[in-house]
Amino acid sequence: MSEIAYGRLGSKKRRTRMMNIITVVAVVFFAILAIFPIWWIFRTSLMTNAEIYRYPPALTPDKWLFSNYEKTLEIFKFWKYLWNTMVIIVPSCLAGTFTATLCGYAFARLRFRGKNLIWALCIGSMLLPAMVTLIPLYIGWTRGLGVSDSYWPLILPYFCGGGAFNIFLIRQFIMSIPRELDQAATIDGAGYFRILFSIIMPAIRPAMIVVALFIFIGLWNDLLQQMIYINSSDKYTIALGLTNFRGQLKSDWSMTMAATCLSFAPGVIFYLIGQRYFVEGITLTGLKN
Amino acid sequence: MKTGKKIGVGLILAAFAMSAIGCSNNGGNTASPGTDATNTPAGSKTEKVKIVYSMWGSAEEGSTTQAVADKFNASQDRIEVEVQAIPWENYMTKLNTLATAGQLPDTGMLQEGGVIQWSGEGMLNDVSAMYEGSDSKPLDSLAYKHEGNTVAYAAANEILLLYYNKEMFDKANVPYPPAALDQAWTWDAFVETAKKLTLDKNGKHSGEEGFDSQSIVQYGTSVENLSWQLETWALSNGGGFYSEDGTEVRIGEEASVEAIQKVADLYLKDHVAPLSVGQTDDGIQRTIIAGTVAMATNGQWNIGTSLNTAKEEGLSYGVAVLPYMKDKVTLNTGGANVVFSQTKHPEEAMEWLKWYNSEENNWALISSGIWMPTLDKWYKDETFTRKWVENPNFPPYEEYKSAVVDYAQSDAARPAAWFYTNYTTDFNTLLGSVLGDVWTGKTTAKEAITKNLDALKAAHAGSK
Amino acid sequence: METVNKLPKRRSRFYSSEARVAYICLIPAFLGLIFLTYLPLLGVLGISLTNWTGLKPPEFIGFENYIKLFTSDPYIKDSIITTIYFAVLSVIGSMIYSLFIAMMLNRKIPARSFFRAVFYIPYVLPAVAIYVGWSWLYEGNFGFFNYLLSEIGLNKIHFIADSSYVVPSLSLISVWLSGNLIVIFLAGLQNVPSVYHEAAEMDGANGWQRFRHITLPCMTPIIFYNLLMSLIANLQVVTPALALTNGGPGNSTRFLTYLMYDQAFVNYKIGYACATTLIIFAILSVFTIILFKTSNRWIYNEGGDDK
Repeated sequence: MSEIAYGRLGSKKRRTRMMNIITVVAVVFFAILAIFPIWWIFRTSLMTNAEIYRYPPALTPDKWLFSNYEKTLEIFKFWKYLWNTMVIIVPSCLAGTFTATLCGYAFARLRFRGKNLIWALCIGSMLLPAMVTLIPLYIGWTRGLGVSDSYWPLILPYFCGGGAFNIFLIRQFIMSIPRELDQAATIDGAGYFRILFSIIMPAIRPAMIVVALFIFIGLWNDLLQQMIYINSSDKYTIALGLTNFRGQLKSDWSMTMAATCLSFAPGVIFYLIGQRYFVEGITLTGLKN
Repeated sequence: MKTGKKIGVGLILAAFAMSAIGCSNNGGNTASPGTDATNTPAGSKTEKVKIVYSMWGSAEEGSTTQAVADKFNASQDRIEVEVQAIPWENYMTKLNTLATAGQLPDTGMLQEGGVIQWSGEGMLNDVSAMYEGSDSKPLDSLAYKHEGNTVAYAAANEILLLYYNKEMFDKANVPYPPAALDQAWTWDAFVETAKKLTLDKNGKHSGEEGFDSQSIVQYGTSVENLSWQLETWALSNGGGFYSEDGTEVRIGEEASVEAIQKVADLYLKDHVAPLSVGQTDDGIQRTIIAGTVAMATNGQWNIGTSLNTAKEEGLSYGVAVLPYMKDKVTLNTGGANVVFSQTKHPEEAMEWLKWYNSEENNWALISSGIWMPTLDKWYKDETFTRKWVENPNFPPYEEYKSAVVDYAQSDAARPAAWFYTNYTTDFNTLLGSVLGDVWTGKTTAKEAITKNLDALKAAHAGSK
Repeated sequence: METVNKLPKRRSRFYSSEARVAYICLIPAFLGLIFLTYLPLLGVLGISLTNWTGLKPPEFIGFENYIKLFTSDPYIKDSIITTIYFAVLSVIGSMIYSLFIAMMLNRKIPARSFFRAVFYIPYVLPAVAIYVGWSWLYEGNFGFFNYLLSEIGLNKIHFIADSSYVVPSLSLISVWLSGNLIVIFLAGLQNVPSVYHEAAEMDGANGWQRFRHITLPCMTPIIFYNLLMSLIANLQVVTPALALTNGGPGNSTRFLTYLMYDQAFVNYKIGYACATTLIIFAILSVFTIILFKTSNRWIYNEGGDDK
């Protein structure tokens, strides 16, 4: 009896170990595939222009021309663009994440009249590409409110719920948290806001970080809106600076790619900071009882 | 609990604070730092008229132009020009949105395809009067005409020509393409030469026994097939995109279709060209500079935008006139300088444009090879030509003079369609999409164009 | 659940304060929905009935734009087909890829956070640069992929230049870019209470059974979200066309949003573009409604929403 049990346990352990090895091999394989295009961009940033178009293509640059970066920084005002971008992104991220959490909470947990209607309106707004409302919004800002060459049209929308996608994401996460948690708190006499701040928010912290990251990336890449609302070059963001830079150099690809590599550094850094929070996870163990 | 609330409130406060910082310096609209200083020398007794001039280019290019404008501002006491630089990629989009918002500059550059269309929308002023009484006028081919009126002059002159890699020719022991128009190659001679210059990885030439078209390492040629440049070949074969007055579409004619098919066949049948689908604008980089193609057609601006740098890196290239099918043809083009009709000061705007358009004030762009002068004296008077071309940025004087300067003022040089007809952007976009499967050989030019001829005509009529 | 039974008694008192809290929470979103979404949408509707070019004042032309769009537009049909084709390929590809990667990353493997970063980072790169980078890999004559193909003796493939390969090629990039889905899946997987797994393991459930009966049901709200988000995002695809293909070759990448962009910002047919926009809106709505209608059948709600 005990022998059989032992044998089963042993084979199970062996199987788990096998599975782990297979997983690691698969992960490494896919990781190489995933990283390869990025490597391609990076190696291009260190080449001469003739080398870029050479055949057969080289996996590594001949000379590792880090001087491309120095040359790039002379023209590409990275720090200034970065500051400008942050002036837009930081308030948008904070406000967007916060208001999205409020709304997600209301939709996930609270009952109120008109919920279905507002929810439907909210979902409906996801179906509108940003480009759709671009024209009327632009006219509204410029002709209606007389705003021009300003960051407000880029920032202010994030004070309004941070976008339906993010509200939806938060709602889904709140819904996946057992209700028993807030019921326990309700019995202790906690109000709705208290439940939100002290129970829900800590529990969905990963989702909140994810939302902040999405807002960050969304703004980072939102070239079109930045382009139409910002006129003067001293207000340029990274995305605008990058297109401007590309236009200026036409097809000096090595420098363009150097600028590109510079411009994705902040995104990567933001991710690395954020990942500590959203992947370390939250243990709901034991809450079930 | 309390901490939770505090964090929430804190976040909101922080958010507001950040945005307040961000937006606090948004007061002035487009105040540029350079403008204040120039007011003083003139002694501002009378208020100067302020003109905003928009151009495509980087912020640095903008400040270079502003420095030129400052010279103008200091030279007289009536007009104050301020330069607004907008990246090339976004230029027309930006101007369109500015027009929608009623915030257009007074004057500025306009991309080729937009001039007649904007004029048709009543957005441009007539500039016919600009050169009245001047001794040197822009070349005739550089005036944008709408309903008989001159609505803009090109800011620069640009033409199409043939670039080639001298080393590849030397190695194959093949004579260089001709720089003189009267010796221009026929299309067949061009294709034959291209075959000699096409090599597979075993060193075989296209057309030779055992040649493997799947492993070509060096191509003989690459004919740029962006829609607007294709017009050259349609014209050269006795066809064209439009009739001479721009009222009718001629692309359905046998000669036009055949010309386009010949270009496609360079890849499909002759195996002398890499596949190119007319999508990107970096033809010269992909071919001559990359060192993968021996000859490539494109605009003369590439000398300034990319070939100069490549030359420093060791490339040895030459310039020649285009080959021809029946008639010798190249296209003239050039972005326009316009005066917007929303301006309150058309006179002043024109005065500035006229001053700015004289070559001395654009010297950086001209001497680098990106622009060619617009005034005829630079082409007709050799002392001016020498002043322009004898410069290390250019290929040898005789070669460039013959293949570019003389070519540009010869009978072969015809204005691109957007100088005289409307909706070229629509037409070219549609044509590009219609021809997509022709380059890969999925369909023939004849089939594709016949099938879409009505749509092409509708696009040309502006009622897509 | 017990709560349902308790509710009616407390309803009057709690409902009002609950509702008040809800309305306060929703003020920002409500303002956003009105001023940033639905008023502009009405604007789009209005403009679509005019011939506005953005330059001249608009004239009312009724439904002419829509009639043109359906009868004589040379692009719209190809555009709808290609958009749906791209979206379906990309959604299926990226859902499978991202769930698979997320499950692997959720296991105890060495250097886990490094690998997470590797899979996620494509998503944080500037989109335009990504497409340029990939275009070199895909390049028909000298690109790296074709170099590999010719090394192993296969014929070259014109990934981007050939109208039959371009959409799958672009879909592959979009799958590669689905780091955002991976992150959401990962966050979701972390939320699957480990007690369930432990209990199931005690009961002798194998890996597949645990995946099928614990992970998947717990993940359904997240899967639904990812599915919806990637469907909507992919139906609105525009960047590859803007950055790389300009809608070509042929019409093979003239996605609807690109078509709209082209009409509005290149050809100045803003009225016409607004009509196209509403077509995009209609197509998106159809897909989303189908997704929502079928969702009740397979979504497992632990929180027990009262919807």
